[in-house]
Amino acid sequence: MTDAEIASFKQDVNVVAKKIKTLSTDFVQYKHMDFLSKDIETSGKMIFKEPNLLQWQYKKPYNYSIVFKNGKILINDEGKKSAVDIGNSKIFGRINKLIVGSVSGNMFDDKEFAISYFKSKGQNIAKFIPKDATLKKYIKQIELTFDKEEATVVQVKLLESSEDYTRIVLKNKVINAKIDDSVFTN
Amino acid sequence: MQKSTIQFLLINCFLAIVLVSCGSVTKNYTPKKLEKTAVEVPYFSEPKTDYVYKTNITVYGHEMSGIFIAKKINDTTHRVVFTTEFGNKLFDFEISDTTFKVNSIVSELDKKILINTLKEDFRLLLKKEYLIQEQFENESDNIYKSADGNRDNYLFVSKKEQKLEKLVRSSKTKEKITITFTLENDIFAKKVVILHQNIKLRIELNYLKSE
Repeated sequence: MTDAEIASFKQDVNVVAKKIKTLSTDFVQYKHMDFLSKDIETSGKMIFKEPNLLQWQYKKPYNYSIVFKNGKILINDEGKKSAVDIGNSKIFGRINKLIVGSVSGNMFDDKEFAISYFKSKGQNIAKFIPKDATLKKYIKQIELTFDKEEATVVQVKLLESSEDYTRIVLKNKVINAKIDDSVFTN
Repeated sequence: MQKSTIQFLLINCFLAIVLVSCGSVTKNYTPKKLEKTAVEVPYFSEPKTDYVYKTNITVYGHEMSGIFIAKKINDTTHRVVFTTEFGNKLFDFEISDTTFKVNSIVSELDKKILINTLKEDFRLLLKKEYLIQEQFENESDNIYKSADGNRDNYLFVSKKEQKLEKLVRSSKTKEKITITFTLENDIFAKKVVILHQNIKLRIELNYLKSE
């Protein structure tokens, strides 16, 4: 992309992302590891409500749901419930920001990431390389693919190494539907 | 001189009592004539199969979950990876009967005692063939003893189904690790439980059925 294209693309994404009060989307997650014959496929639903309520729910092939809420992580693993109190930890804020940013697309933070931009047919791609050493240990690169028309994220790819990555395809996205706080219990 | 002899005798008596009271792990089994010299374990041995299990680990009351993945990558070696549900790799090992390599491990789990425990567990779980020196039986199973250094492994093969359903690793006197297999068919386990007797560690693997 040229500088002008980058500026215009970022603006489009930010305009859409700023409007997001709630967001729900179905997802399919493909865990790719080079030595496996096929990707490990899991799927479910993700729900976000401003400012920081987040639920990531796997429904297939198992039920596993994780809620980020008021400095707590609530886990429901096939009915087995647990909670982790992480208080006001920086990591909590970071994970939350990262997930919401990945799904809304609004993570153009040059202080956190070295960002590069690419275009392909009908899509824009932004690649984020973490600058923080701790984050970098876990994620080598985050790749967001945007629908050109709607300026929303259609795919998130988290690269652990050149061979292994997690690819999450988002579909049936609904923005700003009414979502009750009670959804974020586990 | 006399005093030390008495001491020596006392110690010996004490040892004898301890040994007798502990007994051997085979005391409840009846010895039997050896029928075979090796037992095959087919549950993780097919090179084409990705063995993927949803996993719950309970360690001293703490719960942890994730995805366990094992794959045979050559004649002797398995790749074993554990990830979170989100897909982040927590550890990545390459393991055979005689070799062990850590490809990666997150710093929170990078403890020698933990790695050694997992190495012993996985080696036991993934081993394809156990050489047998002695045989026993109880009501339901034929029990094959396979020596392994200062440990013995006991393989419990059900008389009815002729299937390996349990594997016990023990010292001369005590059971240390028990692995139980719930079978989907002859060559595949849909559930595996690795239970430690000397530390509070339980690992449960449930096969992740793809759609």
